[in-house]
Amino acid sequence: MGHHRAAEIPSGAGVSGRGSRIFGRRSTLSAWVDRHFGVLLVLPAVVLIVLLSAYPLVYSLWVDVVNYDFQIPGHDFVGWQNFKDVVVDPVAATALVNTVVLSSAVVAVELVLGLLLAVAMVRPFRGRGIVMPIVIMPLFMSPAIVGQFWGLLLQRPFGPTDYVLSQLLGRPVTISWLTEAPWNYIAVVLADAWQWTPFMFVILLAGFTSISHELYEAGQLDGASPWHTFYKISLPLVAPILLLAVAFRLLDAVKLFDIIYIMTGGGPGTTTYTAAFYLYEKGFQEFHLSQATAGSWIFLILTIPVISVLVRRLLRPETA
Amino acid sequence: MSGGSGWDEREFHTGLSEDVDAWLRGETSRRTFLTRLAQLIGGAAVAGPAAAMGSADRASAAGPAKVELAPPDTPLGKAQAAAVAASTQGPTDGSAYRAVQAAKKLKGATLNVTYESGLQALEPKNYSGPQWQALTGIPQNVIELPHPDQYSKPIAEHIANSGAYDILDIEPAWIPSLANGGVIQPIDEFVARYMNPADLDDYHPLYKFLPTYKGKRWGVFDDGDELCLYYRKDVIGDPKLQQAYKAKYGQALRVPQSWDEYSQVAQFITDQLAPNVYGTANFRKAGSPGNQFAFVQEFRANGGVFFDPQTMKAQLHSPAGLKTFEQMMAQNKASVPGNNDLDAVAQWVAWLQGKVAMIYSWPPTGRMSENYSQRSKSINFVPKSEIAGKVGYAPMPGGHGEMASGYVKSLAAGSKNAEAAYLFMQWVTSPPVSLARVMLPYTLRDPYRLSHFKSPLYRSLWPAAVEYLVTLNNSSNEAVLDMIMPGWQDYALSIDRMCTAVWAGQDPKAALQRAAGEWDAVTQKLGVEKQRDAYQQFMKLPGAYPDHTIATMGLGVKLT
Amino acid sequence: MGQARMARPGEGGARRHRVRAWELVRFLYIGGFLMFLLLPLYWMVITSIKPVSDFLAVPPVVFPSEPTIVHYTAALYSYRGMQGLINSLIIASATTVLSVAVGTLMAYSLARFHTGGQHLAFWVLSQRFLPGIAVVLPVFLLYRNFGLNDTHTGMILIYTVFSLPFSVWTLYAYFRQMPVELENAARVDGCSRWQVLKMIAVPLAAPGIVTAAVFAFIYAWTEFFFALILTSRTAFTLPSIFRSFLGFQGAQYGESSALTVISLVPSIALGLLVQRHLVRGLTLGALHE
Repeated sequence: MGHHRAAEIPSGAGVSGRGSRIFGRRSTLSAWVDRHFGVLLVLPAVVLIVLLSAYPLVYSLWVDVVNYDFQIPGHDFVGWQNFKDVVVDPVAATALVNTVVLSSAVVAVELVLGLLLAVAMVRPFRGRGIVMPIVIMPLFMSPAIVGQFWGLLLQRPFGPTDYVLSQLLGRPVTISWLTEAPWNYIAVVLADAWQWTPFMFVILLAGFTSISHELYEAGQLDGASPWHTFYKISLPLVAPILLLAVAFRLLDAVKLFDIIYIMTGGGPGTTTYTAAFYLYEKGFQEFHLSQATAGSWIFLILTIPVISVLVRRLLRPETA
Repeated sequence: MSGGSGWDEREFHTGLSEDVDAWLRGETSRRTFLTRLAQLIGGAAVAGPAAAMGSADRASAAGPAKVELAPPDTPLGKAQAAAVAASTQGPTDGSAYRAVQAAKKLKGATLNVTYESGLQALEPKNYSGPQWQALTGIPQNVIELPHPDQYSKPIAEHIANSGAYDILDIEPAWIPSLANGGVIQPIDEFVARYMNPADLDDYHPLYKFLPTYKGKRWGVFDDGDELCLYYRKDVIGDPKLQQAYKAKYGQALRVPQSWDEYSQVAQFITDQLAPNVYGTANFRKAGSPGNQFAFVQEFRANGGVFFDPQTMKAQLHSPAGLKTFEQMMAQNKASVPGNNDLDAVAQWVAWLQGKVAMIYSWPPTGRMSENYSQRSKSINFVPKSEIAGKVGYAPMPGGHGEMASGYVKSLAAGSKNAEAAYLFMQWVTSPPVSLARVMLPYTLRDPYRLSHFKSPLYRSLWPAAVEYLVTLNNSSNEAVLDMIMPGWQDYALSIDRMCTAVWAGQDPKAALQRAAGEWDAVTQKLGVEKQRDAYQQFMKLPGAYPDHTIATMGLGVKLT
Repeated sequence: MGQARMARPGEGGARRHRVRAWELVRFLYIGGFLMFLLLPLYWMVITSIKPVSDFLAVPPVVFPSEPTIVHYTAALYSYRGMQGLINSLIIASATTVLSVAVGTLMAYSLARFHTGGQHLAFWVLSQRFLPGIAVVLPVFLLYRNFGLNDTHTGMILIYTVFSLPFSVWTLYAYFRQMPVELENAARVDGCSRWQVLKMIAVPLAAPGIVTAAVFAFIYAWTEFFFALILTSRTAFTLPSIFRSFLGFQGAQYGESSALTVISLVPSIALGLLVQRHLVRGLTLGALHE
């Protein structure tokens, strides 16, 4: 990746060369800027992130341990009470379980569908240039919109899904996709998979295309069936990429909110509450702000290990 | 995977669009490209605020508003003319006149008013907003919100200190929470200064006390949402059906007088007439506006009480709760397909298409059944009624229909135009103006003043309108109310979730217990003592329970 | 590249059949997947031009006999879609500019000077995965103190912070791969580091900048969660309008579909622009095509 090149630009002649003759009196400022250039460049970003990410997180530590609730005035210190409220709340447990189940399910579905699609599309064919843009389209849409039109498709009584299924299967289909278990889970998985399977597909395709064609040919020459080639050769080679894709997708899937909000509203009951939705309800519908903040810290702590591992992995090739 | 060594310039350039490629190849100068880009962004940045301001303040930017008025020889036209006359000519001690006169001095204000989104918001956009602007020069922005957001949004704005809203359309049952939370402000001073006291007495007794809490007045009541039973006279009265029913049950087929009879009749009709006609249809979808109303109505009819008055423990998981679910699930069974996905509008659609024999719902049902509502172009997504002239009106089985939700206009605490806002509230709920509003075809606002129920103009709208108004009025004498105490919305959403869980297949007993647990948690959070006091206050209100209604207290006004 | 060996007698036919069978399966799968992708979009577009009576029709209407654009005008004007559209344009454009500018500076510093070493890089990159809910509550409260709730500025700032990882990392990959010789030569000639950055590094990294810009724009254009919570009447973005279609006035299908179509147009157009650089952007430079 070229990291063997010198990372430092020689700072040698900066002060006394032609540049300072052109800029004359400003050379002192210019020189100062040059000396601290690296730090100055990162300052805007650092300031922004500190102000809008680090500082709010620190502030929220305070909110965690006081009472911050619409219906109860004052901000008295309450210690661990907020965390306790979350831990004993049965809806929080449901939300956690739902989050694990749903995110695993969507990632698994997307992985399988995306893998199959990548395998199917890895060899060029006429029309691939048109198919590719269509396939990646969903990645650029707002998840809220995806939830919106999937809701439109699946809702009763005016959505077309049950009617079409009835025609296809020859017998009446009366599934309430959004208000009946387990169909509501399937509906959520469908909508999410619709949008994010292309994510897996694109990454896996990149992985497959980078496998040397020679390996493919060699496998085929030996009379190996395509399945064998795939299983013994391609799959192990793309395994690292696959893991990367799964990690990325999983970390996004656990934050599932938009589709739930638009399609099911967490219902029926609380059966499709995810962690993010539960915290939103607590914080911005019921206005138990301190409890919601405590809950989001718990959520953060649960996801930090995975984030650390993934980020470290992403950084590795750059700094080796 | 990570390519080879070296940097291939082509690798980066391929794939970008023509423009960018051309620029990168040096075919367009960087300056032109950047200029074009800057123009685009700059144009958006400049045009943006201008257009955004334009569309937001379109109300104020436009000149005197045009009000769509009905032809003056129609009952509605007469009512609208009377409203204008009352506002401009008097009587001079009338609330309408006083409000308009005072408001004219407050020109320059713009009012931000929240409304339930969709049908409900047609009325301020098409009538009361423009009419008010024509009379006083004060424009309005209507902010449409889904029903649950009408509670949470003002709270969020209050916490954010934004002063975004002036007038809030809220459920009376939310008043304790919002008042305690400082989201709304009392209007006693304004009322004393501007309102004609006789107009307060014109309210139906059920609604008169609703906006008061802790000795202060927090708003003006504006929507008589009394749930009634609407039934198909041609179905219930069909001789063949009556014979068959008598043969099966040994009783006469009649308008149900109890909830058990309701499920029985509904199931019978479904068995006989499906798939052309089903016994019933219900609004079971979450938040639309919610299962809580149907549940607490039947719960109390079955003898249920919300709390143990001593311990303040929730009593949902009592035999009354189980019985309620039995009955509701029997209703679901006898309903149109897809019943559990119906919201109130979808329920109306099924009803108007003639597919249902009985429903209980809000008063607009009566107007829609007679094709009165559908006259207006604005209401184009409610279909033409196939059942005009065939609809009968009755009180709820058992007699104690819920005043489900209703609306009160409240003054937001952070409003920068408090006086102008109050004056609009007074004007819009004054007897002549409110009569014109509840008579609009596309309105969802329902009669709530005695002058509405008695109005000859309203009574002439369709042949059975008299019966309709009388049923509404007399039902209100026996009505039960939403539980008006702090935390109602939390309790209500808990019930909504409980119901949708049961429709989805959860065991009712478990669901009831879970909801009771949630209720107890809310009570704990708000303070058991405080909630106990609030609950005692609620129990004193006429309409708290079936044995404590306007009628039982002798305050009822019976009309014919 | 070796030559395929001669097929043994009798073997060729079987293999050809096998190959053709796989081919069929392959195209069936691709076709099926395309259907899966396109049918919901079709239904949505169709719904946006159906007259209202068609919504209630059973069986569902596949193509309306009287298409209408009334839902588009209603969506834009009655449901304030126009204002949402303009807000989204402003916020997304400004976010793009800010995010790319700040990101370029930081990326250059990380690439050339390893500023902050592992730790700074880790910190910036991990922001990409920070759950929004952890941050939005305190930000909501903090914005309140500074009057930033429901303002364009407030949204631009938060979107910039959360799109920074994309920007930084895309440009970091570019800078790392760029040869340093040109920059060194300029330094020797006496240019200040700023001049080197401005006149040499940035122009050479232009494709990366454009890619980062598009990703930043799409992020700000499609983001829902922060918009839902931090905006209200004034600065609401296009996705957040969809919250108002949740209520019990179910028959706003036309307007919500029209708004969906409107918001999709820039998304798709921009997506096509960067499709070749997709993998790099999605994986923050860990992989590329």
